Amino acid sequence: MPIRNVVYRQREAGQVLTDLSDYRRAGGYEALRTALTEMDRDETVYAFVRSGLRGRGGAGFPMGRKASFIPKDSVLPAYVVCNADESEPGTFKDRELMETNPFQLLEGITLAGYAIGAVRGYIYIRGEYEHQARILDAAIAQARTAGFLGQGVAGSGFDFDITLYRGAGAYICGEETALLESLEGKRGQPRLKPPFPAVAGLYASPTLINNVETLSALPAIIEHGADWYASMGTEKSTGTKLFSISGHVMKPGNYEIVLHDTTLRELVYDIAGGFRPGREFAAAWVGGSSVNVLGPESLDTPLDYESMAEAGSSLGSAGCIVMDDSGSIVRATLRLAQFYRHESCGKCTPCREGTLWLERILQRIVDGEGRMEDLELIESLAGRMVGRVLCALADTGVLPVTSAVRRFRDDFVHAIENGGVPRPEPMMEVPVGG
Amino acid sequence: MNAAAISAHIEPIRHEYAEGRSLILPALKYAQTEKGHLTREDIEAVAEATGFSAAYVESVASFYDRLYLQPTGQRVVSVCVTLSCMLRGSDELMERICDRAGVSHHGGTSEDGMITVQEAQCLGYCDHAPAVQVDAEQTRGPLTLDDADALVDELRTSPRPDELWR
Ligand SMILES: Cc1cc2nc3c(=O)[nH]c(=O)nc-3n(C[C@H](O)[C@H](O)[C@H](O)COP(=O)(O)O)c2cc1C
Ligand code: SF4
Ligand code: FES
Repeated sequence: MPIRNVVYRQREAGQVLTDLSDYRRAGGYEALRTALTEMDRDETVYAFVRSGLRGRGGAGFPMGRKASFIPKDSVLPAYVVCNADESEPGTFKDRELMETNPFQLLEGITLAGYAIGAVRGYIYIRGEYEHQARILDAAIAQARTAGFLGQGVAGSGFDFDITLYRGAGAYICGEETALLESLEGKRGQPRLKPPFPAVAGLYASPTLINNVETLSALPAIIEHGADWYASMGTEKSTGTKLFSISGHVMKPGNYEIVLHDTTLRELVYDIAGGFRPGREFAAAWVGGSSVNVLGPESLDTPLDYESMAEAGSSLGSAGCIVMDDSGSIVRATLRLAQFYRHESCGKCTPCREGTLWLERILQRIVDGEGRMEDLELIESLAGRMVGRVLCALADTGVLPVTSAVRRFRDDFVHAIENGGVPRPEPMMEVPVGG
Repeated sequence: MNAAAISAHIEPIRHEYAEGRSLILPALKYAQTEKGHLTREDIEAVAEATGFSAAYVESVASFYDRLYLQPTGQRVVSVCVTLSCMLRGSDELMERICDRAGVSHHGGTSEDGMITVQEAQCLGYCDHAPAVQVDAEQTRGPLTLDDADALVDELRTSPRPDELWR
């Protein structure tokens, strides 16, 4: 099995690392010590740049480059913000990191804070992760007591602390500027960019925003070296990546693999156990749901950023949702359209109205009241949303809809001509988990 | 909840934020733990404790799904209906939970006021699909239809927690 547990250090250690002493025994906080005593800030940023680590929240922007955008001469304090909103459908990799390896995240945030000269880090966690929030609360308290947070971190001259902030149920607060608005005590609606958060983020201060997994990878990069990290994967897709896989597979769960080393087929069949007897692969939304859906012809695509783009989709958050041939692509597409309609924050008219209409049209196709023109209508509606809105919710939220209508056109036509789509039998097997 | 209790909760963390406005959400979440929803008085108490107007506090609260401005049942059951859960039977599960709680298939609050059932979007628990959440504290899954009945019965008879984190 091509599993390589680097960020999932808890799996490598064979135990949860929610106690500081266990984390330290597993090598925890060695990286921070190394950075504080042997590296200056620029060297630390440079290590992140050389590692090639790309943001794991969905957009895949190089982490080190983003850190290097933080101005050095600002009169305002700088901040690190950890995006722990994890609400992309099919994505639950950060949950496991926070539940079983919280100190690695705290160490990663502290390393990022040292690198950019920040005074404080914030973890914005979705309200639904109350259980995980309590684990983080306890970890922060332990780290403070042990001197890994607070004045003079680990005996150095660097002062830094971390605050946990709980959200209250809104997918859009995972979008970085909506997150900042929410953290500032406002309605969580995206801001117009530019300015980008690196220049004017939280409280208009320079702010580095990264996903939980991105920040959790930093300790290993400092401990084992940027070159070691970059030696895994390809030039543009370095390191390991956590994949959440769910849906009709027999062993849904989180799996860490080296980028490019594994194909979608291997992930689905070898790692996640494939399907029930007699069932076959039908479709996959590999990067969470905000991506183009892929059919069986894409099964041999290697799992990395470039290959997924070449296959016409994207790696996104690597929350891979898989459907076998018992499912209905038309119903699945409607369900996703319902998600985006529900989660549109309503600020931009094309998104607010467009998501509503996409849902209505798909609903009538499912109900047997669809017309052939509806397929063209879906295309033109989507075309009028993309690029005319403030944030990527609309731009990427239309992708699973338009791609399904294109790739699985026959299924939509069949639904229109044959009185809709009955509800299929769901898979009720109890998952094994991995 | 009164303003003094809310202040006691937020004053110790005030120094962590450059602007006091950031305390509104923590204050609202904490105020909600008392009754499970926010009344007019709660909004006013949060306004007093944070120093912002009640109208502003309410406009913030109304944005978030998990802040309830209408009364809810003693426990809120959120049934995930997003794709991974749908593929594993969340629609059937939602209907069964609603039936057992005695509410329409769209959800709602049971007549005895014990349980509110609502649809939820991906709970980040897709490896345990179909998944449900009880308030924000417990996520459970995968649930069979029999488990659904047992869950509703259990919530009807078990005492409510002191603090309701939703
Ligand atoms: C609608 C929407 C929802 C998002 N949700 C999340 C999320 O839940 N978690 C996350 O890390 N990034 C999310 N993002 C991406 C963030 O805006 C941002 O790119 C990311 O936090 C940057 O961190 P990274 O570079 O480490 O990935 C979302 C973006 C959009 C447009
Ligand atoms: S695109 Fe949609 S979600 Fe994004 S800001 Fe506009 S209305 Fe809100
Ligand atoms: S789709 Fe239900 S928990 Fe993710």
